[in-house]
Amino acid sequence: MSDPSVRGFNDGALPALGPGADFFDLLKAGGYQFPGRVIADVTPGHGPAFQPTEGTTILALRYDDGVLIAGDRRATAGNAVIYDRADKVLQIDDHSVMAISGSPAMAYEIARILEHSFQYHRRRQLTEMSIEAKLRRLSILIRDNLPMAMQGIGAVIPIFAIYDRRDATGKIFFYDALGAQFEVTDFTTTGSGAAAIRGVMYHLNRWGQTPFASLPREEAIGLSLRLLFTASEFDSATGRYERTADVFPTIKTVTADGLSDVSVDELRDLQARFIDAG
Amino acid sequence: MMLDEPYRFAEAVSNRRDYVEDQLRDGSPVVGLTYGDGILLLTMGRGQRKLYETYDRIAMGSMGHPTDIEKLRQAAVDLASVVGFNYSDADVTLQQIVYFGLGPAVKGMFDDFIRSPYIARILLAELDGDQGSVFYTVDYDGSFATHEGHAAVGGSIEADRVIKQRLDADHQPDASLQVALDVGLKAWSAGRSVGLQDEAAGEEETTVRDDEIQRVLREAVGDMTVEAMVLNRDRQAKSKAQSLTAEETKSVIDAIVA
Repeated sequence: MSDPSVRGFNDGALPALGPGADFFDLLKAGGYQFPGRVIADVTPGHGPAFQPTEGTTILALRYDDGVLIAGDRRATAGNAVIYDRADKVLQIDDHSVMAISGSPAMAYEIARILEHSFQYHRRRQLTEMSIEAKLRRLSILIRDNLPMAMQGIGAVIPIFAIYDRRDATGKIFFYDALGAQFEVTDFTTTGSGAAAIRGVMYHLNRWGQTPFASLPREEAIGLSLRLLFTASEFDSATGRYERTADVFPTIKTVTADGLSDVSVDELRDLQARFIDAG
Repeated sequence: MMLDEPYRFAEAVSNRRDYVEDQLRDGSPVVGLTYGDGILLLTMGRGQRKLYETYDRIAMGSMGHPTDIEKLRQAAVDLASVVGFNYSDADVTLQQIVYFGLGPAVKGMFDDFIRSPYIARILLAELDGDQGSVFYTVDYDGSFATHEGHAAVGGSIEADRVIKQRLDADHQPDASLQVALDVGLKAWSAGRSVGLQDEAAGEEETTVRDDEIQRVLREAVGDMTVEAMVLNRDRQAKSKAQSLTAEETKSVIDAIVA
């Protein structure tokens, strides 16, 4: 749908769209091609083996104030450690966050499109995008990434956490490679180290002293540090705190007050209490 | 075609100017000024929004036909958003929006004689770096200008002049938000009073007295509400734009009309 009245903006490569336009459509109309759709001929097994870069263990759980979401910092390609300072827990807006395992290249692109889509909607429609619509936007992007996932090089399996002000509760969702969205009640974990801790999480939440949903903030952060440490014990692709590098996992919380980072000072303190002392 | 003669062309342009200026004359001005924490934009209206966030550090206010304002507002958001995505947030500048977006779009429409021109005058403001601020005004014919410290779009050149005179005298760059609101509202009222006078009175330079400012504001609060937006440099979020609530502006306007 083209509106000739804004054609002055078309002197560049910018599209002219009618009201209600979606940001992803706006980008595509301007010539943007989502990478998940265009790379078609990279088939593993032909030529030298291609080892895509991958992020590893992420987890999210509901605690008493809202949602906590955490990730280790390692990115790997096959056996090689590519990077030990990767950020896999990405702020999307003031009340939502996406954690990624799988291909960081595609995940960062998806996070960027999402972040801009939410902002664009707020500015253009003069209202915040609904939670349902935000989840739907992510679902569409993951589905559009299916060709990459099918080729085994660019799958993105994110965890999405958001604070729902209507219900006054934090919510956690995970996705499959086709974009199906699942809400979890208490916790979830994905990535290569997830197998080592999923059972632990279930056990602790069901039979531990305190269910996750009743944990105070510090306890929840301490628990997450322990879980990531456990994952790194059994999964070589999951990084852990190294004294020489002084790099901690990324942990963010989403509460009624919005998204906030757990600071390095606090992580250092909790690392001493929950990992080193325990 | 009637426009192939130079005289007819000039006449047609002049007719379009008269037409647009008639539509704009009694419109509610939009005033922008810097204050201690950033930039304040304000106007008064009857429910319909006139101040908008364009990007993280850029806000826009406009007077004129609501649908024209909408088209221009959306086009500015589109341009800023695409640049912000393809480059970075820091690459979205007001200069670019005005030079490459709004200016050409509005001029293109004004010059297109088989279409109706945009009935809109636009005020844009940008927080620039740690200290700076930039104002642009875009007129209905696509001409634009940059301003420092404060700027306004009113219903006529005379309204603009009166507002500027007022702001030149009263504006304090380091003032609190309350003081900036007071100064801004009085400047708005001065511009509004020009629009309310009949056309003949607008021919000569007017000086708007304080009691007139108070009278116009008192009348305005009867059926209009204050709309104000700040670009607050100290705001934690990425976006620095924030609409002020009715409670935040109430005490200032109450004090003026009391």
